[in-house]
Order: sequence, then structure tokens, then C-alpha cells
Amino acid sequence: MTPLNEAVIRVDGVSRWYGNVVAVSEVTFDIMPGITGLLGPNGAGKTTLLRMMTGLAATSRGSVTVFGEPVRDNPSLYRRIGVMSEHETVYEFMNGRDFVRMMARLKGVSDLETAVDRAIALVDLADAQDRAMETYSRGMRQRMRLAATLVHDPEILILDEPLNGADPRQRVHFKRLLQQLASGGRTIVLSSHILEEVEQLADTVLLIVNGKLAAAGGFRAIRAALNKRPYHVRVLCDSPRRLAAAVLGLESVDAVHVDPDGALVVLSRNVLDLQIELPKLAQLSEIRLRRIEPLDDSLESVFGYLVEQ
Amino acid sequence: MGPVYRLTLRQLAGRWRLSIMTVLAALPVIVAVVMLRSDTAPSVMQFEQSILSAMLAGSIAPLVVLAIAAAAFGNEVEDRTLANLTLTPISRWKIAVPKLLATITIAAPFIAVSAFFTSYVAFVGDIRATLAVTVSAIVGVVLYASAFVWLGLVSTQAIGVGLLYIVLWEGFFSGFVSGVRLLSIRHYAIGLMHGIDPRRFVDVPHLTLTPAIVMTVLVAGGVLLMSIRRLRRMDVP
Repeated sequence: MTPLNEAVIRVDGVSRWYGNVVAVSEVTFDIMPGITGLLGPNGAGKTTLLRMMTGLAATSRGSVTVFGEPVRDNPSLYRRIGVMSEHETVYEFMNGRDFVRMMARLKGVSDLETAVDRAIALVDLADAQDRAMETYSRGMRQRMRLAATLVHDPEILILDEPLNGADPRQRVHFKRLLQQLASGGRTIVLSSHILEEVEQLADTVLLIVNGKLAAAGGFRAIRAALNKRPYHVRVLCDSPRRLAAAVLGLESVDAVHVDPDGALVVLSRNVLDLQIELPKLAQLSEIRLRRIEPLDDSLESVFGYLVEQ
Repeated sequence: MGPVYRLTLRQLAGRWRLSIMTVLAALPVIVAVVMLRSDTAPSVMQFEQSILSAMLAGSIAPLVVLAIAAAAFGNEVEDRTLANLTLTPISRWKIAVPKLLATITIAAPFIAVSAFFTSYVAFVGDIRATLAVTVSAIVGVVLYASAFVWLGLVSTQAIGVGLLYIVLWEGFFSGFVSGVRLLSIRHYAIGLMHGIDPRRFVDVPHLTLTPAIVMTVLVAGGVLLMSIRRLRRMDVP
């Protein structure tokens, strides 16, 4: 395994465009051992970036190296890399075990049946391994594809939206498995458009928005940046104008207004503080709160804010 | 190479595809039997031009091979399973060559059997003429397979482009413009047939054996190299 302080994957000034459309623009980062989350809204360029990192797609500019070697047109590197794309790339006429066995053969695994047994056990699909893959649920296909990705025991795992289609139980199992693999010194890169998914798994986060690297680092730093952004919070209560007057005294509140439908909308730059103070104020003013909801908590608005920063 | 070869065989051996190929392969035999039973049986020259050259080498063989070869890579590009192969530590030629071999394995028996029975019936058991037709038909399958496997890698409309090629190039231009013969798979096959049995096939203008062999080797090898190069440079979906 690679030393923890050494870059395993190096993405250097990488851009990719299709005609006039720029999918990825001047992205540079290093990936170290551990779990790195590639986070961004749909269409941000995560998949294009991952495809360049795996050598499936060429860069228009810049370079991607893995273990110091160019990844493109370098098949021998795939002895050390396991890649799972977001698409359901299975052969429906095969059963699960045959699929994993074929992938093991293609990857040059020597102790074939032992490796296949181990990989299928890791994804907890031993009971279904002899069933045709056309009968599998989406989550089962994902897991069998993960087994095929793991069968040659790669040092690097690159997973594009790996939790798509998984039910809650499978998600828990999957997360445990990835954490277990990462604790063994592997480098795992996974992409997701779901903030919480990455938060629970990744040590490092790369935030991709509009094809650019918007932020990189530990999840806490990014979370802190997120908590400082202005939030619109809609409050339903029995006396919105009195509550408006009261919340204006809070340091964390920048502005308030009352909607035509009688709801109070609060603009705050410290939403954590607001969460604590608002119920206290309502209690003191004897105002009954009926509902509190964030208005702009979509991922796009979060990412948009970070890009502006 | 074994896993890719076996995988491709399973992918290509679909029931509908094999059914269409069986019907197509049976056509020349049926037409030959009907022609020979009619009151005005054709001469060898007429038979060669209409059945062996135009029908078998210029239409049936390329159509059968197109149905198989275009799917060898085309289907994997479409359903994105090609990445399963390219993300493994095997050289690109170890993907392209087994794909081509699997295509030939499936298509060649149909065309070989069709060519054998068509010529056996037409030449009343003349083994040398029958062998000449069968061998040249198999060589035609190899050449068409090389071309259409490559086509499946470079175009998402491989079937449409392949049909245009068969109709316009092999069917139309190569029949009327003599210089085009040097760039026509159909005429390489016919040239080989003449070379193997010159006593039976004498009257029809054709490529001589040497250029037919040279062009066969050049085209088969060249197109295979183009497929390997394409696999190395393409963005795999």
C-alpha cells in the first residue's frame, strides 16, 4: 500500500471539453490514501472527472497520473485499480458468480475461486451468486459489480455514485465495507451528489461545481463554510409580526419580512445560532411556533454559495 | 484472450440473429437449385456473376457478417459494458483479436455451408470448384468481419453505414467501375476463387491471384490494426 502522505492519484490542470461545452475546467488536486469524496450536483462534471482519472476518457488539457504513471492507455495499471462506473454494466445472461469469475480472469487473478468466494462474501451475496443477474434488484447488481471490482484486491477503488439503488440496509453494509477497506490502507474515491452520504464516509472532500473545483479539504472545514452562508428560514407562527420584531434583536439575523400568506421569512448568516435562539424567543414572547423550514437548503444553492466564495 | 472470446460468443449468439443468418445463408442454395432445374440453366459465367459474385460474395456474406460483426463492439459501446474489458490489465489487441475471432467463428460456418452446397449443387459434385467457392467465401467472411468489427467501434450507426457500403460500394460501384475491384472485398474473394480453380472459372474479368492475396492480407491486417488503435484512443463510454 502507498504511504499515507504520498499522492496516489495526481490530477494536474485537467480540462475536458466537448465542442464548445466545457465539462471540466483546470482542475488540480492530489488524492491520498483513505476515502475521498467527489461531491457536486448532477451535471457538475464529477463523472467526466472520474472517467479521466480512470483512463476511460482522454483529457483535453492537463494530465492524470496514478502511482506516478499516466493512467491513459496504460492497461497494466488496472492490476492495482478497481473501477465501478455508475452504469449497470452487467451481462444479464450470466449469473453473479460467473460475472465475478470472468472479471477475475480478465484481471489476471491467480487463485481464482478463492478470490471469487472472498469478493462475493465481502458484498454479502453468496446466497444469490448462482442466480442469473437479470433477476437481481438494482442494489444486488451494484453489490455484485462491487465484488467484481474488488476481486483482484486493488489498492485504489474508484466508485461513481456507488450507493445508487441501494436500500438502507445495503447502504449501511456498503459504508462499513468501504471503511474497512480504507482502514487497510487503500485509496478510495467515490462520487456522490448527496452531501450526507459523503459526510459519513469521506475523510477528504472535493467539491465540484460547474466543472471546477469549488472547495477541497476536510469535511468539517467545508461544513463550517456552509454554516456561514446566508439562509432563508420560513417560520409559521400565530403572531409573525411580533416574532419579527423580536428576532431582529438577534446577532445572527440579517433581515426579516412577512410573506403575503402570513409566514415570517428570516435571513440569517448563523443558522446554528438561529436554531437555538428562535424557540427561546418564541417562548419568551409567548408566541406559538407551528413550523420552521429552510427555503434554500437544496444542494444547488449550497454549491452555488461555495462557488461564490 | 479466452474470456473475451467466450464472452463475445455468448453475446453474439442470439436466437434472432442466428435465425436471420440461417434464412440468408439458405437463399443461395435455394436459388441455385431453382436455377438449375429451370429449362434455361445458366452458364458458368452467368452463375458466377449472379449467384457467386453478386449474391453470395456481394450480398449474403456481407449481410450475415454485418449482423454479427457490428454488434461485437457496437452492443458493448451501446450498453457501456465495453468498460468492463478496457478497465482490465489486458492489452487492447487481446480485446480486438478475440472479438474478431468470435465474429468469424459464428459467421463463417453459415457462409461456408451455404457456399459449399450452392457450388456443390451447381457444379454437380466438382470438388475443386466447390472448395474454391467455399474457401474464397470464408476469406470473404474474414475480411468483412475485420471491416465491420472496426465499423462497430467507430460508428454508432454501424448497421446503416454497413448497409450503404454493401449496396453502394460492393454492389454498385465495384460491379461497374473496374478500378474499384482493387478496393472491393467481394472481388478479392472472387479473385481467390479463380486462382484456386482457374479451369472452372475462366470467362469473367477478375483480380488475379497475387493482388487478391496481397490485398486480402493488407486489408485484414490493416483494419485489425485500426480497431486496436481505435480501442486505445477512444473515450470508452
